[in-house]
Amino acid sequence: MGQTIDAQALSKTYKEGSVEVHAVRDVDFQAFEGELIGLFGPSGSGKTTLLSLLGCILHPTSGHLRIFGTDITSVRESKMPLIRRQFVSFIFQGFNLVPALTVQENIELVYELKRVAQRKRTKVYELMERVGLTDRASFLPRDLSGGQRQRVAIARALAADSPIILADEPTGNLDHTNGSRVMNILRTLATDDRKCIIVATHDDRTKQLFDRILYIEDGEISTKGGPEK
Amino acid sequence: MLDSGKMFTVALRMMLYSKVRTLMALLGVVFAVSLIFAQVGIYLGMMESSSIIIDHTPGDIWVTSKNSRNFDFAQPVPEYLHYRVQAVPGVQWAEKLIVAWSVMRQKDGGNEQVEIVGYNPDTGIGAPWNMRTGSACDVKNGNFAIVDESAMKRLGSMEVGDYRDISRKRVQIIGISEGIRSFTTAPIVFMNYSLAQRLIPYVGPDSTVFIIVKVLPGHTISSVVDSLKRNIEGIDVFSRGDFSYKTRKYWTIETGAGFSFLLTIIISFFIGMLIVGQTIYNSTTEHLKEYGTMKALGAENRDIFRIIFSQAILTALIGYLVSSAVTLASAKLYDAIGMKLVVNWQVNLGILVVTMVMCLMATLLSLRKIRLIDPAILFRG
Repeated sequence: MGQTIDAQALSKTYKEGSVEVHAVRDVDFQAFEGELIGLFGPSGSGKTTLLSLLGCILHPTSGHLRIFGTDITSVRESKMPLIRRQFVSFIFQGFNLVPALTVQENIELVYELKRVAQRKRTKVYELMERVGLTDRASFLPRDLSGGQRQRVAIARALAADSPIILADEPTGNLDHTNGSRVMNILRTLATDDRKCIIVATHDDRTKQLFDRILYIEDGEISTKGGPEK
Repeated sequence: MLDSGKMFTVALRMMLYSKVRTLMALLGVVFAVSLIFAQVGIYLGMMESSSIIIDHTPGDIWVTSKNSRNFDFAQPVPEYLHYRVQAVPGVQWAEKLIVAWSVMRQKDGGNEQVEIVGYNPDTGIGAPWNMRTGSACDVKNGNFAIVDESAMKRLGSMEVGDYRDISRKRVQIIGISEGIRSFTTAPIVFMNYSLAQRLIPYVGPDSTVFIIVKVLPGHTISSVVDSLKRNIEGIDVFSRGDFSYKTRKYWTIETGAGFSFLLTIIISFFIGMLIVGQTIYNSTTEHLKEYGTMKALGAENRDIFRIIFSQAILTALIGYLVSSAVTLASAKLYDAIGMKLVVNWQVNLGILVVTMVMCLMATLLSLRKIRLIDPAILFRG
């Protein structure tokens, strides 16, 4: 399995007035292609900050982060979009689709933002088929259910064809049935498409789907557990 | 490279999606730009009126009394200067013209101040150039006058053949001109030069007000202006363009009219900018998560700026076109109330640029917001 992420002593500290807040402290971990990793922890534990660091949205305060061998800590802020474009896609709890664009246009927009060459673009229909939304291409997000919206978000991540997908509470706004469906799609993506997927979640019911589970508390990864099958 | 057309489409779709907000922004632009159109158009119309006779009178140089500040309030000069002007090298011909103030008695009583233009009907220099009824040379050989139709509101309805008293002397109306208004709003009455001398006591038989000069081919206007200044004392000499500009400048600055128009234009600009700015800012704030997501997916700030600029440009273009139509439709209304609205291609182009600048400046706060998106908002459900 190829290594995708290599974090060493990764830390992020915020200043709130005169107080320093250590959102992530000395995190060491590696992730690999085809892995579905669960990131568990209570609210405020640092899950979101860690995802932001791994997704190259935030710059670490100290430590090293390598994505496919590129040391992100030495990359200038202005070059971060390029790294994100190449390696990372996101799935958010709130879906974050563009409400004015149809399902198809939301997916196509990713091709533009990621500068995917015409010849490398997968047909939108195929992507929608994978997430079971072929009959919703011309719908606006407001006309879709929460589960359908999240599947559009997954199709969007698929369109980007990024080797790393970071998902933040992807089932947080979904009922059990839709939540399971979304998690199963992610599982398939990791297994069949060899994506490295890290899911920050509270949902204990999904634990059995992960290859590996990381627990984070007070910014530190306290336990590295195997799948609880 | 990101496809600009695609980003423009995204911007358009976002505007169409938030119809009420878009409509509010457009109304703001239409309001502000229509006001700018009206102010600029009225100002130019008034300035055009202020120098309309200078601009339409043949001749290259205007000779007038010393320290003349504008066309309407020039003082008389001795008439013999006409011969001295003619004698200056480079002068092809020189013609006298009287512009002076008098009073016309109205049909139903009461007096109205009028601006008299006394010209030589044989040469037609200074004569009305746009006649609705009659001919400019008809003022010869009698107490005849030509009034402009725009003066009817002030002087009451008049027909060719009617009589009026000017300076207590009976004058017959023998022609009606069109579109010759004065900045002062006083009705313009054209008449024979010698009649004007008789009717206006402060001019009299030995004085004139202007001497208009045509420069001989082979001489430059500036060289003849210099010669006139050198050879004749106690006069002011201007090229036609300079005198037109001096007159416009006088009315613009000395009366405060220019400042007043400029202030309204600036206020309109800022009102428009605030309305558009607030609308685009609200829209940006509302779509911050989507913009943040685009950034997370690899979009650079400038990619998102392109969406916001596209929205501003679309708002500016649509707002400008509607305002232009509103202005066009209201031009007749202005005409009906005796005001001239000048909206030529230069005004259209200038206001288009101003509208663009206004709407693009309105995006500044939004651009800052995009640049400083807190990634944490992406992860809030």
